[in-house]
Amino acid sequence: MAMRKNYVVETIRKAQLVELLAKGRRLDGRGLDEHRPIRVQTGVIQKANGSAMVSLGNTQILAGVKVATGTPFPDTPDQGLLVVNAEILPMSSPYAEPGPPSEEAIELARVVDRGVRESKMVDLTKLCLVKAKTVYTVFVDVNVMNVDGNLFDATSYAVVTALRTATMKKYVVKDDKVEATEETVPVPVERFPVSVTLARVGESLIVDPDAEEESAMDMRITITTDEDGNVCASQKGEASGILPQQVLQAADTSLRVGSQIREELMKATS
Amino acid sequence: MPMIERKQVVPGDVIARGDYRWGDYVEKRGDEYIALRIGLAEVGGDGIRLNPMTGSYIPRAEDQVIGKVVDINGFGWVVDINSCFEGFLPASFVFGREFSPATHDLSSKFAVGDIIGARIESFERSRDPQLSIRGRGYGKIPKGEIVKISPTKVPRLIGRHGAMINMLSERTGCDIQVGQNGVVVVIGPPESTPTALRAIKVIDDEAHSADLGRKVEELLGGTQTGA
Repeated sequence: MAMRKNYVVETIRKAQLVELLAKGRRLDGRGLDEHRPIRVQTGVIQKANGSAMVSLGNTQILAGVKVATGTPFPDTPDQGLLVVNAEILPMSSPYAEPGPPSEEAIELARVVDRGVRESKMVDLTKLCLVKAKTVYTVFVDVNVMNVDGNLFDATSYAVVTALRTATMKKYVVKDDKVEATEETVPVPVERFPVSVTLARVGESLIVDPDAEEESAMDMRITITTDEDGNVCASQKGEASGILPQQVLQAADTSLRVGSQIREELMKATS
Repeated sequence: MPMIERKQVVPGDVIARGDYRWGDYVEKRGDEYIALRIGLAEVGGDGIRLNPMTGSYIPRAEDQVIGKVVDINGFGWVVDINSCFEGFLPASFVFGREFSPATHDLSSKFAVGDIIGARIESFERSRDPQLSIRGRGYGKIPKGEIVKISPTKVPRLIGRHGAMINMLSERTGCDIQVGQNGVVVVIGPPESTPTALRAIKVIDDEAHSADLGRKVEELLGGTQTGA
């Protein structure tokens, strides 16, 4: 018996959802631009440089940060390395399978990585030790523990809070050689990107879709904004198109909802 | 009516000794009847029955189920029947003997995501259960609220000779269709549907309690009859 790849939403359930959305409500009682409750727990992995367990409704993400030293990329000899990687655990959903990362897991890691990178959240130039030779390498590994829709935002919040609370060993340069010291310093975090995903179901754009809403959506867009109101990164998914005014509407909503979420995350990590 | 003795059992418990007829989840060893699941055992005039507290739905021929179409292939529909087995509804059962994959459009009859009432035509464990929609009341369910309850609680939701389900639909004015697989569809006026859904939830949560009927009566007490 072949396993279904995705959850199939019941036709009558989708009809109810579309009908409710037209009245500005959702099946779980939320408003259209209301996100599910966010719970953040930082420092959950003792041996990591930084870590966070984040739940967004029933979606649960564990992120861990590991800082080491390594050689920089040839095209950016004076910048440290930052790599976000994501894995969807087989136990997280009936539709997740073990094996090499799925298309979804790769897209997830890339979208979150892009948000962190393009917002200049971590000042990579401060992670350079010896130009073209030795830099700090920051690896953020994400494990999806439970899937209930909107992995993009939940993962983004986990990565951002893990990085904000991460510390790293201080290295000193002596005669072009790096040496570890006993001192620890925080990872040079400068900005605070927040990603907000919107899905279109019927004619409505809704913030933070859950699994059921995701199975009924025909388009989604993820927009990452920073604290100065800049749009840093975006990703559109699913087959259906999006109108220009919907892009603008989505950007406005992302900014507005994003700033609320930023405050929540800030409280959780201060 | 003979006295019915009910008791909670765990696997390995001796339910009774003597000479009885016995049903599923019970094994006879010597003259002892041993429970194979956690649940409520009933020893009465018509033998020994064990209602397990939990468990997934295992299809049985002639069961009425409610399922969701999850896939269509050239020969029929694949139906999620809330079980570890996937149901298959062959197109020839729907279009008749003249069915041909070239001329008939399966999705025009049932599309992916549609909810259908069906009967288990045949089942043995080496093959997926075969479904049929021949007969009255089967086929596409066009509207309603879907709830899932534990398949082991279905007998309690229906009640003795349908007592519970009849009371529920009379008091709320809702049409309630129950599949043996634990899928329930409630069709009714928007005012009383939530009450019916709450009552079904109560039955699912407290199926083991002896005064279930009273609890449900209490819940329904405040509502007007919709019918």
